[in-house]
Amino acid sequence: METVLFKSRYYAAYQSKKGRCFFVDIQDRRIKMSFCQLLAFRQKILAIDLDAHFDAELNRHGIEILTLCNREHLFVLDTLEVVDLKMFIQGIFTMSELHTLVTV
Amino acid sequence: MKDLVRQKLSINVDVMDMLNEQIAKEAHSSSIYLAMASWCDHNALNNSAKFFYDQAEEEREHMMKIFRFINDNGGTSYSPEVSNIPHDYNSLEEIFESALGQEINITKSIHNIVLKCRKVNDLATENFLQWFVKEQMEEEQTMRKALDLFELMGTDGIALKLIDERIPTIKG
Repeated sequence: METVLFKSRYYAAYQSKKGRCFFVDIQDRRIKMSFCQLLAFRQKILAIDLDAHFDAELNRHGIEILTLCNREHLFVLDTLEVVDLKMFIQGIFTMSELHTLVTV
Repeated sequence: MKDLVRQKLSINVDVMDMLNEQIAKEAHSSSIYLAMASWCDHNALNNSAKFFYDQAEEEREHMMKIFRFINDNGGTSYSPEVSNIPHDYNSLEEIFESALGQEINITKSIHNIVLKCRKVNDLATENFLQWFVKEQMEEEQTMRKALDLFELMGTDGIALKLIDERIPTIKG
């Protein structure tokens, strides 16, 4: 049984009730992540330089290569997907904070 | 619905990012003190050199304290990259002025994290950082005491040697 944590235009995140783990849907693939891997995923996304996507010299093709879970998965994302991914990862953790505030 | 993120992580995730930035600042600070120690060593200011070697170790201890705190509370600490370490100084006085500036910046940074903790109700991290608030006050006082010696004795003739002899006494 999985509960939706957050959904954006391209991605969705779930938490497993039994497995104490997370699932993230990216480009038609469902990736299972431990919390540690989710944090590493967040760190990678935050480190993406979005401005470079609008600079032809810094990022000529406007793509981002993202490896996940100790390079078990590899994704090639375009600019729109990267913008959405940055909002998506923030959304996951904001939902958790809101949940904490409501339950205090 | 149980909150799995909260179950795994005891501290606020944005505060965790700021703590990771603080780790990098402490590492940078440690390396700067090491460069200062090296300059003092080359200029036969042995007591000042020892003072800065000790400072470098202390900053690393601060870094490790934060590093372990993040990991112990379910977050992920990132080992920092250190670059842009200045090695050129004109005088011992300039070194201590620069060290005071360095400590003031670290103090500001710690205070910023405390303020963020208050904003997001991260009481655990705020409590953890209180030790750093006190420690930074003492660090600034130490650097000020060193600069007072320069004001009192000047740097002409034997004064620099006398200041170097008094450096071991400035640490509170």
